[in-house]
Amino acid sequence: MGEAFLNLQFRKSYPDFTLELDVLLSAGITAIFGPSGSGKTTTLNCIAGITKPDSGSVELWGRRLYSSGSRFRGINRPPEKRRVGYVFQDGLLFPHLRVRENILYGYHQTPKNRRHLQPNKLVEMLELEPLLQRMPSTLSGGERQRVALARAMAASPEILLLDEPLASLDMPFRGRILRHLKAIHHDTGIPMVYVSHTLSEVMVLAQQALVLSNGKQVALDTPNKVLHQTPVLPLVDPAHLETLLEGRVVAHHPTSGTTEAVFGSFTLWLPTVEREVGDPITVSLAASDVMVAAEAPTGLSARNVLKATVLALDRVGDMVMVTADAGSPILVEVTPEASSSLELQPGSEVYLVLKASSIVVLG
Amino acid sequence: MNHVPTSEEFDVLLLSLRVAAVGTVIGLPIGLLIAWTLAKTSMPGKVLLDTLVSFPLVLPPVVTGYALLLLLGRNGPLGGLQDDLGIEILFTWFAAALAAGLVSLPLMVRSMEVAMGAVDPRLELAARSLGASRWKVFATVTVPLAFRGILAGVVLAFARGMGEFGATIIVAGNIPGHTQTLPLAIFTNLQVGDDDAAVRFIVFSLAVALAALLAHRWMLKRAVV
Repeated sequence: MGEAFLNLQFRKSYPDFTLELDVLLSAGITAIFGPSGSGKTTTLNCIAGITKPDSGSVELWGRRLYSSGSRFRGINRPPEKRRVGYVFQDGLLFPHLRVRENILYGYHQTPKNRRHLQPNKLVEMLELEPLLQRMPSTLSGGERQRVALARAMAASPEILLLDEPLASLDMPFRGRILRHLKAIHHDTGIPMVYVSHTLSEVMVLAQQALVLSNGKQVALDTPNKVLHQTPVLPLVDPAHLETLLEGRVVAHHPTSGTTEAVFGSFTLWLPTVEREVGDPITVSLAASDVMVAAEAPTGLSARNVLKATVLALDRVGDMVMVTADAGSPILVEVTPEASSSLELQPGSEVYLVLKASSIVVLG
Repeated sequence: MNHVPTSEEFDVLLLSLRVAAVGTVIGLPIGLLIAWTLAKTSMPGKVLLDTLVSFPLVLPPVVTGYALLLLLGRNGPLGGLQDDLGIEILFTWFAAALAAGLVSLPLMVRSMEVAMGAVDPRLELAARSLGASRWKVFATVTVPLAFRGILAGVVLAFARGMGEFGATIIVAGNIPGHTQTLPLAIFTNLQVGDDDAAVRFIVFSLAVALAALLAHRWMLKRAVV
């Protein structure tokens, strides 16, 4: 993980809600995770200068963006002086400008000696070339988010804030944007703070996770540790419980209508995917679509059986959420009755059964 | 009844168009600034500004004209400046233009305020996060997105300026060939009993008003799309 770069130490009160933070984030991709109304977007807005905290300070790479200040007069740098890039939930492209002009908007505002990123390079990375002359109203949700990402990056910000950029996207686009985000982070080294209420996105993208609940910091650690050592699962909307897996296509089996893909230490058979062998692939497993068996099942139609170790059991609503390690953690939803009849507990050896058709290919 | 206007009568139309156009052009930057302040800032004196700019709409235009007369008069705040520059504004067509601009300012501001208020403030924040100053955001995001509404305000102000009477007669008088605009010419001709001439001027007024209203309607309709 990178060095500390963002120091958030502030308080912001609303009539029904108070956000109070005291954290030091490391350069890399940080996910801010929590249920709706936990203060995630307010945190981003305080970093960007859109919302002014009541007191405290915000420092980016040692540069003071906000300080309520006691001895000196307070500092509150306006948004345009912060060098903070922001990708909004719905993209917020300028509707009167073409894609090309949208991307160049921030680039033109940036002094020449601070332009680190060439718009052409971003257009190439995000595969935007065919869209350059289009108007935003003609773009799909995923295209809009890619343009918004290019627009924010073209201003050469020192940090990129992303407010649930995948929330409004259809499933197949989500994996693609996630991969683009990772590539941009890898190629530019820009630190990102990524707000999400979807645990799977946090797990697949972030090196560090800050968990908020009701305006308070609940945890700050690597996503794996946060998931297994703190009561995070009860904060999750059960409908969003899924596991995202990133892997590579290894073979197509036309006779059985399946595609074989390897995800770290295990292999999954998926419904045939239009993808070259060797291509990266992201899939989603809904927690409710994974079955658990205590012994290796035989005579089963499902192709995918993974041996796993139970890491944790958490109560989420009426159900029990099992985190099982099959090489990477996979979330499984079971009823409390199933959990006790299988005598599940941390350390139990289990087999996870997945129907190929229940695996959703994201991108 | 003679329907054909004389060239002097066409000059009255041209003068009126010039007075209303110059008044609108002078009012435009002021209107934009006031409308932006009202729609997009949380300045403490906003209510006061709002009230002040609405005054010409509700006061008798004669009173507005008198205020302008005091402002531009030899002993007024702008009297000295005119002396220094060696110019005299009162009782010129330019005074009539100022009167038209001032009286139509509230209409212009209202229309622009509504149009700018309809621009999503989050788009403006997005622009600022990309490094654009407030002024740059105003010029590149707010104005282009509110353009139709702004234009509609300009047309409305122009139409109102064409009809200005009360304030004009106070600051510019009713000098034929110099400051006599359409409404003043209609009034004068009715007074002296030349109804034919009055009707010809009324036809001019109707034509301009109709054109302005149609343009205004078209702009607002397109603004919604």
